[in-house]
Amino acid sequence: MTLLTYREAAIEIEPGEDVLSALLRAEIDAPHSCRSGVCQSCLHRAVEGNPPAAAQQGLSNAQKALGYFLACVCVPDTPLTIVPAQEAGTRSEAVVHSIDRLSGDVVRLRLEHDPVFAYRPGQFLELIADDGLGRHYSLASLPEEDPFVELHIRLHPGGRMSRFIAEELAPGRRLHIAGPLGTCIYEGVDPDQPMALIGSGTGLAPLIGVLRDALRRGHRGPIRLYHGARERDGLYLHDHLWALTKRHTNLHYVPRVLSDSGPHGGDVAAAALEHENALPHTAFFLCGGEKLVGRLKRDLFLKGASLKQMRTDTFLPAGSGR
Amino acid sequence: MASLYERLGGEKAVDAAVELFYRTVLADGRIARFFEGVNMEDQLAKQKSFLTMAFGGPNKYTGKDMRKAHERLVAKGLNDSHVDAVIEDLSRTLRQLGVGEKEVQEVAALANSVRGDVLNH
Repeated sequence: MTLLTYREAAIEIEPGEDVLSALLRAEIDAPHSCRSGVCQSCLHRAVEGNPPAAAQQGLSNAQKALGYFLACVCVPDTPLTIVPAQEAGTRSEAVVHSIDRLSGDVVRLRLEHDPVFAYRPGQFLELIADDGLGRHYSLASLPEEDPFVELHIRLHPGGRMSRFIAEELAPGRRLHIAGPLGTCIYEGVDPDQPMALIGSGTGLAPLIGVLRDALRRGHRGPIRLYHGARERDGLYLHDHLWALTKRHTNLHYVPRVLSDSGPHGGDVAAAALEHENALPHTAFFLCGGEKLVGRLKRDLFLKGASLKQMRTDTFLPAGSGR
Repeated sequence: MASLYERLGGEKAVDAAVELFYRTVLADGRIARFFEGVNMEDQLAKQKSFLTMAFGGPNKYTGKDMRKAHERLVAKGLNDSHVDAVIEDLSRTLRQLGVGEKEVQEVAALANSVRGDVLNH
């Protein structure tokens, strides 16, 4: 019986041996440092099988639910198929269900996937074009309710993937996806805990997924959703979110438009930092560009929020990974 | 006698201290600049590793790791005054958590014992 499969290759593991030692012995350049389950630099993810509890100590509930574990203290007694923490895993085929404009430069792409693509709302996947070109996009859909996988994609003028999406994708077209990845999910939130969802641009996609997941599971605590955009057109789900606040009294929607001087004008990060005050008890979801997420994470932490209660999805420029 | 790490409460004590300590350090104008642009999760994991070492707990941190980890900061001007500030922040954090003065002094002494490695002396 093969106990350890790494990127689909069988790795020999001695009785009682930890995963990191086995990887290093197989001459795999696995990152590591403390070798005692503290520093978390040897983080891997099990795509099949369940890592022992001892290998998940100190990880967040979201990470545990998604199969992340520390290789240096993981001595498996059942088979595990593992990949490095940042790797999407194997590719599979998906079919374009529909593609619609949500605003001037944001499109909604819905994909069908058979068998069902297993994910949690708020995670992201890798979308792969014909020539192997890949980009990460967040999942805005809810697997329990939607028969498709939904992505919100900002089209960048001159971007290779943007051109592929705008010019070549049409219903029925086949392409590949891999994943899911990311830990920006509802798992581990207490139903009575205040939640603050903060994002800009298509950072709204994972937040919508998390919001729908929370509402479906009967979240009782207050939920504040902050969405920022440069122009009014960028609040691409404004009417939908506004309507949603009428149906759910614990949901508050705070839109902010940078270029506007009206009641919804201003910077989304400043609005969130001003309004949030139940900091140590609040579950934060921060999604968007590196600058926004970095600023929010640091300022909220210094104001008293716990890093353990922050889930983030940072959008990085194409080609720099994520 | 139980080890200092056990007397302080083991991993639970480290967990309680790590965010408070990091928040204190980030808000300390004398040393905050050394943390600019770092990944906060990675940094928190390192703080946890450092605290486990400072509490005398199970940790395989070696002098070599310490030197390597701080090389870049020494190049940026890290010196004795900054190490003093970190140990002061650590002591303040422990007092805020209700740790006794004797244990605070022991932790400070353990942290001080890696000064030479941190500063590449």
